[in-house]
Amino acid sequence: MTMVLAICVAVTFGVSIYLMLGRELKGIAMGVFLLGHAANLSIIAMSGSPILHTHGAEASRAPATLEPISEHLDEQRHPLMTGVNIKQPPVLEHHEPMTDPLATIVDPLPQALILTAIVISFGVMAFLLTLLVVTSRRTHTLAIAELAQEPAPEPDGGPAQA
Amino acid sequence: MSSSILRTAMGLIFPLTLLFAVYMALKGHNQPGGGFIGGLIAAVALVMVRMSHGRDVMASVMPFHPRLLIAGGLAMAGVTGVVPLLFGHPLLTSRAPYVHLLGEAIHVPTALFFDLGVLMVVVGVAAGMIFRLGGEVDPA
Amino acid sequence: MNTDLIILLCVIPLAAGVLNVFLINQRAASRCVSIASFVAVLALSMYFLLYTAPLTGADSVLVSQMGGWKAPFGITMVFDSLSGLLIAAAATVALGSYIHSFSTLDPAVERRYYHPLMQMLLFGVNMSFLTGDLFNLFVAFEVMLMSSYSLLVIGTGMKQMRQAYKYVLLNVLASTIFLMAAGMVYGMFGTLNIADLARIVAEIEADPARSLPTGFTALAVMFLLVFGLKGAFFPLWFWLPDTYYTIPIAVAGLFGGLLTKVGVYTVARLFPLIFASDGAGGISLTIQVILVVAAAFTMFLAVLGAVSQHEVRRILSIHVISQVGYMVFGIAVMSGNALAGCAFYMIQHMVVKCALFLCCGVMEKHAGTDDLDKLGGLLKRDWKLGVLFFIAAMSLVGLPPLSGFFGKMVIIRSGFGEGYWYLGVVGLVTGALTLLSMLKIWSYGYCNPTPKDGYPVQTEPKAVIAGNRPAYFGIAMLVLAALFLGFGAEPVYTVAFKAGEQLENPKAYITAVLGDEAYATAESLAAEHAEIQVDSVQGSPATTDVRTDERAGSPVLAEVATHAPAEVSP
Repeated sequence: MTMVLAICVAVTFGVSIYLMLGRELKGIAMGVFLLGHAANLSIIAMSGSPILHTHGAEASRAPATLEPISEHLDEQRHPLMTGVNIKQPPVLEHHEPMTDPLATIVDPLPQALILTAIVISFGVMAFLLTLLVVTSRRTHTLAIAELAQEPAPEPDGGPAQA
Repeated sequence: MSSSILRTAMGLIFPLTLLFAVYMALKGHNQPGGGFIGGLIAAVALVMVRMSHGRDVMASVMPFHPRLLIAGGLAMAGVTGVVPLLFGHPLLTSRAPYVHLLGEAIHVPTALFFDLGVLMVVVGVAAGMIFRLGGEVDPA
Repeated sequence: MNTDLIILLCVIPLAAGVLNVFLINQRAASRCVSIASFVAVLALSMYFLLYTAPLTGADSVLVSQMGGWKAPFGITMVFDSLSGLLIAAAATVALGSYIHSFSTLDPAVERRYYHPLMQMLLFGVNMSFLTGDLFNLFVAFEVMLMSSYSLLVIGTGMKQMRQAYKYVLLNVLASTIFLMAAGMVYGMFGTLNIADLARIVAEIEADPARSLPTGFTALAVMFLLVFGLKGAFFPLWFWLPDTYYTIPIAVAGLFGGLLTKVGVYTVARLFPLIFASDGAGGISLTIQVILVVAAAFTMFLAVLGAVSQHEVRRILSIHVISQVGYMVFGIAVMSGNALAGCAFYMIQHMVVKCALFLCCGVMEKHAGTDDLDKLGGLLKRDWKLGVLFFIAAMSLVGLPPLSGFFGKMVIIRSGFGEGYWYLGVVGLVTGALTLLSMLKIWSYGYCNPTPKDGYPVQTEPKAVIAGNRPAYFGIAMLVLAALFLGFGAEPVYTVAFKAGEQLENPKAYITAVLGDEAYATAESLAAEHAEIQVDSVQGSPATTDVRTDERAGSPVLAEVATHAPAEVSP
């Protein structure tokens, strides 16, 4: 599953960067939105089974050593991933009955992060789309080459109609 | 885009969608759901009204100007957060008391009001976007 | 005192912003609400600073755990000396430019949510200064950026919109990288709490058997890219001059004062504590080289750009970048004193730069242009503005009794003391060139005779002065604040040195956030390690005492070394 996610993230990134390199603002905006999705997917890949933090001084709780988090995860690891200590993404591959609850519980924090990021990108998207609409109403174009030319005198310097 | 089939069906779809939005918002305390999701679903209901009946009807469906909905929602969430401060607790501390009503113990966490604030903000933002950006799409 | 009250620094602007939306058509009322909010934030931050001033160690760091969730799990708000200084300066700058906008901002623009947006901007900025959590920092950045996007296109012409695209797209890109980097931090360390990260890094540093996770340096560089873009470091500064050139002047003053400092602040907060670590108690070479190069080029190239420009706004905007270079210099040296100098320089630069932008606004009111070729004779026309401008300009340059001097002195001196003499030389040359460009504005704009065919826009001096009283008031307030920072540098530096010490030595911060025993593992590991070393070299004192020896280079440094907590000087 980690592999599948990695490929997804890579493809989404690729498409978004291709879009952002275009010469039309609409495409660039779409690329920016897609980039947010790629980032969210990559956070999914970072998350996984919970790392239980107990507050205190046990050095063992720090996962920085990248030791296997639980025996269980070690068994589940994809053959390609042996020897690499990567957490499993929180996606169930088979509809197995929940025999061991600890194996199926995932760390909720990355998902909270993603939800927050989605809300924020929702706001940014609204702003960017409004900007695009206002620009196209005023200039009747969204091509960067045309927008970049210094216009002669300003047709209207008044407040935005958005 | 306005078709009579959609327009007729809206009489059923609109209240049901709003009800579903409220259900999702209330469910969010212990299960997937919450104010943001509820707000988005309510916004979908508004979008459908906008598509079927046009801008004016949508404006009449909205109880307040979107601006007031956003500010009111922010204020509601903010007040819920600040109240614990007055009692010497950190911001956003929540309590989950049970209210006894008609012999039933109803779980009323204070986070509910925060979530309702979020719902109002989301509906307000979405409605504002539809008003502004959908201006020239379809004079219906 | 109930430390949970620190969150009021965020709640007040938020509440004022919401209130202002309801008061959208009542100008007088929303102005009163906004001013009350700025003054309240200023007063509260001052109060907290005075309250923490006599305290030491973990007591001097005020912590509030949101919703009562204990530290690594919930969101933490942390008020230490650095955040306190910056919040006070931010509120001052916001108040000054807000009052200034009463006379310089078009009333039609003002109705377009200008008042709520100003409050939300301050809310975002304060939250980024207060937050003790990496993800919450991202959220605070976004709040700040959304308000800044909207303020950027407020009252727009098409020219402003074009620049807005550049700013918005670049910042969205940077935010996305920030988001991914935060996700990676969580993947590597399992926590996003800054104090918890600092604790883990300190434990790894203290334990020779452990090393930092693979990719840690790459992660640090990602963060540096994000914050460098927001803070306009070399080579990520390109968006800044064009953006600040087109927006309403009061907003330009606020942005010039505030926004870049938030980027610099996050670097100053996160890098000495966490991301500059090489896992063995030193500073990662990669990060250090990047910071040193960025500091040198930011200072020097930007000031060359400023010297070559001929429009006041452009000179001032490019100077923002050049001054950011000094702050990066302070961070690159990464000693407690250099960081204290950086903190002082940040607050003085916020105030002074904003005052200069606001002066430029009144100059534009007089002449209708900010092109130095078409200006002249302003000193005769309006000597009060001349005096205010001169004080602010010389504070920026750093002539001795004024505020810029004390900032630059400490930074450059610690640079020479710690072996970064080349940065010190660049800093001195940059200072001289800053003087040159400020004198250019002064002589062309104020001392030269008025052009023969008058200004592009003919104005009556008395009418302009009478019509812009709020503007003068705003400028005068900021200039007074700058003078205070100059003549009252002693008490401000007491706080700034404490901020530097807190940044260099994470113990106070970590124990304040996580509790008393949190730092114990790192300390006991360090002690064990030191014992082993001492045993192996037969008790030679040189190995244990390196850090204190290095510090004793200059009198200022020695003074701080005496304040240093016990575990540094055994």
